[in-house]
Amino acid sequence: MLTQIGRPVCGFFGNGWKPRPLFKGAGALSYVSTQRMFGRIQGILELMREFAVFWGCTIQTRFPFIEKSTRIVLEAFKLPYRDVDGFTCCPEKSLVNNVDHGMFTLTAARNVALVDELDCDLVSPCTGCVSNLATVESELNANPKEKDHVNSFLKQVGREFKGKAKLSHLVPFFHDTVGLHAIKRMMKKDFSGMKIALHYGCHMIRPSHALKNDDPLIPKKFDNIIRAMGAESLEFPTKLMCCGQGLDRIDQHEMALHFARIKLRELKAIGADALVLCCPSCFLQFDNNQFLMEKEGEKYGIPVIYFTELLGLSMGYSPDELGMTAHRVDCMPFVKKWESLGEKASRDEDLSEGLNVTGAEGLG
Amino acid sequence: MEASLNLKLLEMCSKCGACFSICPSCVNIPGYDPREVIKDILDGSHEKWINSKHIWECLECHYCLEMCYQHYGFENAMTAMRTIAAKRGVHPTQVKRGWEMFVKTSRLGEPAIPARKKLGLPEAKGSGAEEFKKLYALLKESREKGRGHGGKTE
Repeated sequence: MLTQIGRPVCGFFGNGWKPRPLFKGAGALSYVSTQRMFGRIQGILELMREFAVFWGCTIQTRFPFIEKSTRIVLEAFKLPYRDVDGFTCCPEKSLVNNVDHGMFTLTAARNVALVDELDCDLVSPCTGCVSNLATVESELNANPKEKDHVNSFLKQVGREFKGKAKLSHLVPFFHDTVGLHAIKRMMKKDFSGMKIALHYGCHMIRPSHALKNDDPLIPKKFDNIIRAMGAESLEFPTKLMCCGQGLDRIDQHEMALHFARIKLRELKAIGADALVLCCPSCFLQFDNNQFLMEKEGEKYGIPVIYFTELLGLSMGYSPDELGMTAHRVDCMPFVKKWESLGEKASRDEDLSEGLNVTGAEGLG
Repeated sequence: MEASLNLKLLEMCSKCGACFSICPSCVNIPGYDPREVIKDILDGSHEKWINSKHIWECLECHYCLEMCYQHYGFENAMTAMRTIAAKRGVHPTQVKRGWEMFVKTSRLGEPAIPARKKLGLPEAKGSGAEEFKKLYALLKESREKGRGHGGKTE
């Protein structure tokens, strides 16, 4: 029954009518089954496994407003999340793994053990955290000897790494577990007419043997969400290029700026309304470093918007409530353009108005 | 060598280089070429790279790993070089600072309390630093013992 996007094989609509594809297989659903599905969404969310949110050091230290918009969205969707006492740094790979691989493994295993003990899953709005935790989890699950060795230490502090917790990044989690239908249903206004440049962030999808959530070379899930939200997801040559923020962590600030510049120049040239991402490190690179260049007279004017902020805006929260006023690069050009588009009624409303007028059903 | 590498895979790697054109650092950083480093590792003449800033320019984006038909990639060679550099204490200042903060506090920064209050966020959860420090001490102790017995404790 499920088919490739936009290619329904179901025979009901053999008269040439093409449903607008919303998600994989949506094209094959009739109106009635779609309505049934809407009814089921709430049920699915109620049955969802509880998950711990792993905020990570960068969000809590530098960008608490990202935590704010994430909490707003999680609450609004009534998702069963919880905060966990005792998480340390994930730990950050380039700073810790290069210096001491043993401590890198042990620290990540301890964080996963905390989640294992609570018998829940883990979701993080930080790509680096999920990638590092998943890398260690898959390494230990594939190597029982190493797992026992790690557990011989954890046992001494009363913990055990089982490696059972499902570790997800927020974006694939919204795509796979919450679902595009639920997202669409929660939206008060879509982003039709807006041109969005997506930046996946390397560690949302790689290493794929550990994360197992999308195609590591041609990812689609973030695009699917953005398109479901009505925006145009731009294609451009550097779409999957690493942000280069890592260079700032090895005393090469100028080179980090060079990397930021490559992408920002391209986005300006193709007329992107915003750069949307879901990684605090990439956010630092494109918001903070863009601001630093702006101060030196090199202006790109590309608002950098976190996935949770975009979602929050569409659900009717104000930029202020979402903490977007704390960005260094002004987001208001994006918000204002979007609001100006809002004065026109959306296509769906036009359609229902047309159907509700007297005589629409031929009854006069 | 002070770090471990699979030289057989690296030998194949030196003949391929499929990931070179997809590596963001190879394309955008002049002088960055892991193929040179790998050649030198195989020749046993990698010493000159230990002090080089280039070995730190691998962004660990894992693109090469995904491209690699051996699932090995440039990054393993660069990680090995960096591990040696860090053991000798010739790693970048910010990496040193980051590591020090990590072992001291178990995190790379503390939650921004005034900003949290302003945003109306709940109090941040504790970090488990005490338990973390205990684990670090246990690991170090076990390594000391291992050295005495010639065992492996990584």
